[in-house]
Amino acid sequence: MKPIRTDFKGYEGQYVAIDLRTGKVVIANDDPHVVLREAKGRDHVVVHGRVPHADEPLYVGMG
Amino acid sequence: MSEWAEPRPQQPWLYPYRQDAQSTRLGEPVFRPFVQVSLANGDRSTSQLTGLIDTGADAILASNLLTVELDIDLAESEGESQHAVGGRTLTARYKTISLRLHSADGAQEQYLEWQAKIGFVEDWHSDGLVLLGSVGFLDRFTVTASRFAQAVAIEGRDTFDQRFGVVEVG
Repeated sequence: MKPIRTDFKGYEGQYVAIDLRTGKVVIANDDPHVVLREAKGRDHVVVHGRVPHADEPLYVGMG
Repeated sequence: MSEWAEPRPQQPWLYPYRQDAQSTRLGEPVFRPFVQVSLANGDRSTSQLTGLIDTGADAILASNLLTVELDIDLAESEGESQHAVGGRTLTARYKTISLRLHSADGAQEQYLEWQAKIGFVEDWHSDGLVLLGSVGFLDRFTVTASRFAQAVAIEGRDTFDQRFGVVEVG
């Protein structure tokens, strides 16, 4: 099975939602509640979370 | 145990691994076992969310950002616990609400739903807004994750025993 790839470049610091069929970011905003609201009820669209900046530390596990 | 939205899809449900926005391994993309879930509390529900399957976690944890969408007041939580994760200590405050697992293609109205105790956490740093651990998720299904196949299979929880026999302890 091919994994779903997403190009997160340009969305650092923002919350994003992707389209599962393409892997593309379809919603992005600094405010997570805007992304959650706009993704609601849309087939194939899933809120992914926040895209970190490149210099942010990588946390181990859930943290 | 579970409530199906119709039409009931045939299992296994197969989810391709998805790229992680948070982690890089020496510049290489990292792929993780994510599935689509949503949370519901009464007549309130979230959009579909990225849920990370974590066999090392005992609980289901989620960002407290979601309590706004769900109209949950964590001052009325069912209890709290401390989790030491990634060198930090986090507090999870628990509420029992509905958890939905959506089918692999992300169809909004095709899901399994059950009640689960969710620990809501402030200062959330995980990729994805929900972490799916043992109690409330991995005890509901037989979950097979293969980095080689780059996919996750979700099947009925009795499938493990049917495939391997009942594992006797002691």
